[in-house]
Amino acid sequence: MHPNLSFEQAPPFSVPMRFFVAAPWFGVVAGLLLAYIGGEVVSSRWTGEVLALTHLLGAGFLLHAMCGALLQFVPVAAGGNVWRPRMVAGVVQPLLGFGALMLAGGFFLAKPALLAGAATALLLGIVGFSAVMALALWRTPATGSTMLALRLAVIGLLVTGGLGATLAEGIARGWSLPFPALTDVHLVWALGGWALMLLAGVSYYVVPMFQLTPPYPAWAMRLFGPALFVLVLAWSGVQLIAGAEFLRRGVGVAGLLLAALFALLTLSVQARRRRRLIDATFLLFRLAMASLLCVAGLGLLMILVPVVGEDGRSGATLGILIFVGVFASAINGMLYKIVPFIAWLHLQRLGAPLTAMPNMKNIIPATAMTGQMRLHTLATGLLVLLPWLPALAVIAGLAFAASSAWLGGNLIGAVRRYAMFRDRIRAAGAYRES
Amino acid sequence: MSRLIDGRELQPPEPLELTLNALDTLAEGEELTLLLYCQPHPLFSVLRQNGYVWTEALQADGTHEIRIRKTPPV
Repeated sequence: MHPNLSFEQAPPFSVPMRFFVAAPWFGVVAGLLLAYIGGEVVSSRWTGEVLALTHLLGAGFLLHAMCGALLQFVPVAAGGNVWRPRMVAGVVQPLLGFGALMLAGGFFLAKPALLAGAATALLLGIVGFSAVMALALWRTPATGSTMLALRLAVIGLLVTGGLGATLAEGIARGWSLPFPALTDVHLVWALGGWALMLLAGVSYYVVPMFQLTPPYPAWAMRLFGPALFVLVLAWSGVQLIAGAEFLRRGVGVAGLLLAALFALLTLSVQARRRRRLIDATFLLFRLAMASLLCVAGLGLLMILVPVVGEDGRSGATLGILIFVGVFASAINGMLYKIVPFIAWLHLQRLGAPLTAMPNMKNIIPATAMTGQMRLHTLATGLLVLLPWLPALAVIAGLAFAASSAWLGGNLIGAVRRYAMFRDRIRAAGAYRES
Repeated sequence: MSRLIDGRELQPPEPLELTLNALDTLAEGEELTLLLYCQPHPLFSVLRQNGYVWTEALQADGTHEIRIRKTPPV
């Protein structure tokens, strides 16, 4: 132990973990739902079943994991103080959880009351969370590309939530809104302005740190966040202007090329890593970046070749690549580094004697991470084929549900091991914080 | 006197572990230099709370050089 050192109060371990532990179970529900409804429906993005699936993943799995990551990342990596984190997590996580389930239920069962309830719960959760994170992010003295990306991502989350709540309320109450255009704007803010922005900002920090790669090039880090934000804004503008098809295509091409640039830079720094360690996180990140390159390629084809763009199967493949291939894979990989690290950090803060400290590598066993990573990769492959081979729905859905459940089990195991070591440290009498 | 920890090729939390161990035995006037490819905010919190001062310099290859000393008694 370090008898002469005191450790600053960080958000309790439970704060990010309640988001992380909940996240994969939305993937389980999505996988089971897909197995139940079959593969014929996925080629239209406007069916209630598909909207239920995308929101179980987007507003459930991804939003939970990303909010948990921000709550932990901002104090630890950016030095920002989150206001009353335990209370914020205790209020926001149930709002997001129930909101995502109600939203999926509302779409699947075509129940306006559920959609209206979901809009309120998710909007409250997102606005509350964004306000607290904005306060922490704007007050921290930290500067740099990561900070800028995180701040822009919080704006992206707010816009996503605002548009999503408007759309859900609009459907529930029968408002007359330009639904297709607004939905596209909501989607681009969710995937670009929020999710990809956050992934980039966090990657600048955690990819070099955990995967022992060189830093991303400074010019790229400076360029990416602002350029992505401007393109998402521009997309929103042209989407709402009638007859701006040429502009819309131009902004779309620029956005896809920017996403491809981020993927190539990540693969490039990974290829130049200083220690040739290959683990589940490294491979999941590679899968995420390869998927992002496929998204860029397919997206460009859809814009430039009308027959590809008009085929519903292309859009479905694109969506599966984005939600599962890019974001679920990257989050899965990051969780396998972030969770053991924060468990170690919190045990360290308790003033643990060295003999009581676990090896960080034992918080989640490598065999469990590798096995789950392989199943996730298999599930991703099956899901990408699904629009072209609808008969795969049962096996693809079950594989994704099993992979998500395995991830959930691995995270619960990490919490159990943390609690075991925490109790040992308390028993050793070196306990410092509650 | 000066001590050096090169954490650039170590996986977290090894650099932090080594630094905390070194701080336990850092004498008055002694300097500890830590090399990393990121800003170690958890370490900065520990240093701030425990009477250490540090300077940070960013080198051209992206290395953060952090030089740590005990705050001299007033």
